[in-house]
Amino acid sequence: MTIKVCVPRDAAALSVGADATAAAIATAAQLAGQTIQLVRTSSRGMFWLEPFVEVETASGRVGYGPVTAEDVPGLFAAGFLQGGAHPLAHGKVEAMPFLARQERLTFARAGLTDPLSLADYEAHGGLRGLRRALGMAPTAVVEEVVASGLRGRGGAGFPTGIKWRTVAGAPAQPKYVVVNADEGDSGTYSDRMVMEGDPYVLLEGMAIAGYATGASFGYIYLRSEYPHALAVLNEALATLRARGVYGRSVLGSDFAFDAEVRVGAGAYICGEETALLESLEGKRGMVRFKPPLPAIKGLFGQPTVVNNVVSLASVPIILDRGGAHYADFGMGRSRGTLPIQLAGNVKRAGLVEKAFGVTLRQLIEDYGGGTRSGRPVRAVQVGGPLGAYFDQRLLDLPLDYEALAQHKGMVGHGGIVVFDDTVDMAEQARYAMEFCAVESCGKCTPCRIGSTRGRELIEKIVRGEDVARNHRQLLALCDVMENASLCALGGMAPWPVLSALQYFPGDFGLPEKEPAHVV
Amino acid sequence: MWSELRDLREGQDLGTPPRGGEPVALVVDGKPVTVPAGSSVMLAAATGRCPVPKLCATDTLEAFGSCRVCLVEIQGRKGYPAACTTLVEPGMVVTTQSPRLHELRKGVVELYLSDFPKEDVPGGWSELHETLQQVGVTGHPYGQGENHLQAPVDDSNPYFLFDPAKCIVCSRCVRACEEIQGTFALTIQGRGFASQVAASQGERFLDSECVSCGACVQACPTHSLVEKSLFEGGYQRAQSPKA
Amino acid sequence: MKNDSVLPRGQGRRRGPEFPPYDTATVAAILDRWRDQPGNLLPILHEVQQALGFVPPGAVGQIAKAISRSRAEVHGVISFYHDFRTSPPGRAVLKVCQAESCQACGSRELTAHAERTLGCKLGETSRDGAVTIEPVYCLGNCACSPAVLLDGALHGRVTPAALDRLLAQARRQP
Repeated sequence: MTIKVCVPRDAAALSVGADATAAAIATAAQLAGQTIQLVRTSSRGMFWLEPFVEVETASGRVGYGPVTAEDVPGLFAAGFLQGGAHPLAHGKVEAMPFLARQERLTFARAGLTDPLSLADYEAHGGLRGLRRALGMAPTAVVEEVVASGLRGRGGAGFPTGIKWRTVAGAPAQPKYVVVNADEGDSGTYSDRMVMEGDPYVLLEGMAIAGYATGASFGYIYLRSEYPHALAVLNEALATLRARGVYGRSVLGSDFAFDAEVRVGAGAYICGEETALLESLEGKRGMVRFKPPLPAIKGLFGQPTVVNNVVSLASVPIILDRGGAHYADFGMGRSRGTLPIQLAGNVKRAGLVEKAFGVTLRQLIEDYGGGTRSGRPVRAVQVGGPLGAYFDQRLLDLPLDYEALAQHKGMVGHGGIVVFDDTVDMAEQARYAMEFCAVESCGKCTPCRIGSTRGRELIEKIVRGEDVARNHRQLLALCDVMENASLCALGGMAPWPVLSALQYFPGDFGLPEKEPAHVV
Repeated sequence: MWSELRDLREGQDLGTPPRGGEPVALVVDGKPVTVPAGSSVMLAAATGRCPVPKLCATDTLEAFGSCRVCLVEIQGRKGYPAACTTLVEPGMVVTTQSPRLHELRKGVVELYLSDFPKEDVPGGWSELHETLQQVGVTGHPYGQGENHLQAPVDDSNPYFLFDPAKCIVCSRCVRACEEIQGTFALTIQGRGFASQVAASQGERFLDSECVSCGACVQACPTHSLVEKSLFEGGYQRAQSPKA
Repeated sequence: MKNDSVLPRGQGRRRGPEFPPYDTATVAAILDRWRDQPGNLLPILHEVQQALGFVPPGAVGQIAKAISRSRAEVHGVISFYHDFRTSPPGRAVLKVCQAESCQACGSRELTAHAERTLGCKLGETSRDGAVTIEPVYCLGNCACSPAVLLDGALHGRVTPAALDRLLAQARRQP
């Protein structure tokens, strides 16, 4: 009997040698006279185990990892094609604690399917959401998404359904669906995983968004740092067109929809939706003032849905199982699940899809297993380069939009970057300002000049120059940037700086605060 | 030609172009004001004789929202919206002067001055200087930092020169070139702190797509772009602090 | 309100500055492919750079004309985006991630090591013209930090020793 062996083709897996591992397995199987079916799947998101090899056995899939090409002969010797014991064996994959304790809705297919096999996709629930949507009135589709409570997973957390309602209500034509695939926050990779590992779910979500809002064309604005995602998306689009899922008659209906991938060119600011639209129009990625909202006047001046990748990838299951099913997960006003990405100095770095409400400590300790270096956790940055740094004292906060906002933190795109006790938080604060200076579009003055002055002030404080005065000035500057900037880049760049000052003043040579003053 | 352009703007600069919608009544600094729908809060404030300080806004160009000096408070709204890019709504209650607004505007203007020749601050005349006076700022607390004060003057054009040291990157020249003249000869090159006004591909004005119409000179609020005829015996840059 | 040129006769529109020659036919073919497509400037610039290694300053006029925009506009766009180059890079391009997740896993040391090994700073090319090193802000490989991208190939958990092997390979290329 042919044995199915799965090796991920996700870029992270490739970056640590998955191609070489797959080739070694093919060669070893041939040598052993074993017929195997080698499938290049998406990744489970257990990246510390990549390249992670799964063997389909009678009792389910058994996992081995991290498997380098050099490990392969030993695995064959241990009978891994039959699920044999080996130091790299992890037993039944579904039962692995990291996975078993997750609620995978958006990432239900992660690691299971061949990303480009439409048959695989449909066999695992794909296209059911779109089929159901096409049988409903467009307004009913919008209301289903409203009922789900889905909020934008890109960072701002705006209710997706409300956005759609505005676009649906705008009379102008044509309208566009734009996917914000400019996943620039350090510590995040869930968009990349969707695009490389489950491209059809994004494209299905786009078509549903188009149907619901009256748009018949979509653009995916993809960051240039994701070449693998570009190749997969283009191939997936071609397949959907060939199979009549995209095109003049979506799944045989009267609804027409098509889309195109456009590639960014190295600009963090283009993750901001109005800068993204400027860039798509072929211009400098300068932030536009709002209103008018993109929902009314967006791409080429037309009504435009701008949604993040994970937001749109969450839509098919909402349409398939109903908004209420999705809303059953979560807490407070944060409904559904959040794909959390553990990154940085963490032992088990990977994707954790959980209902809102899990605490940072649970994520870092229970899922993440502490630091990769084995040293104590000192600081955690949540929500990307504009998110606050937290110290140990705040790790019991639940991950939900409102709870984090109370501490100037944010869920953002769900990235959590862990630092051990060797981190210099004054340097991290300096970097936050430098990053803002490098990535500022340069339109508004608080961001354009303020970020450079902020970096200079931190450098002066660290050098011990006129510390009290420069510290005061830095706080005043942060206030101006926060309250006078045009967009969130300048407006939030002070957050990592202020939080580093608050929780780690000693790193700046400033007096340590009493713990009572912290929380 | 250039003086004609100047005459087009009669008297007070309302900050944003006039609109012709239905009348909208609102309250600015306690005073009732009525302006056409589609007007900006900035125009309403100027109409009500409560002018808001500004740098990137002028009523010959569409609102841009970059300078962040015209921040105001609007009842029922979070934060400090820019008066130039916020449109009036019936019953809106706007505050243009408060200690908090003063604090933020001062902070923004100080950032401008931290990259502006300090010798050109006292006694100068330009819209920037008007704004400095309005906000009550004469210096900045940042000391010597990274700046554009050494960027060379471009005096290639026979009629005007460009001194980038005085440029505040408000894009008024770029927008004037596009919106008034339709030439598109100017751009901002680079981004972030490195953003600079450039003619065509960063070449001399005389070699560029510039047609010397003067719209950019007219639009410049700092005399960074300025008529040569104003300087008898040639343009002398004030001694820069770095030298 | 349109104003005609007020320059004296004979000083009207100039031909613009002189730029080094480049492969105009390749650029023309790319322009043909993208003609009349909305928002086509970024795709055009990407393809020109892919074909020629950089966007030659001389091509800016050709591109501008084809898409009915000014040289200034095209220059403004090129200079805005970090990806676009206006001069040829080294034979290999190494992008080293500088963002937080990689910082937490030693990217500062890795960057310093790369700079020492190649004898040049971020944004520069090694003396032998073999490798250009550039900063990049997140490659999405944050679960396998630190990460680098060498000629489009992604590498994770990169130690200084692993980087040396990659660079040695890159330098052996003709």
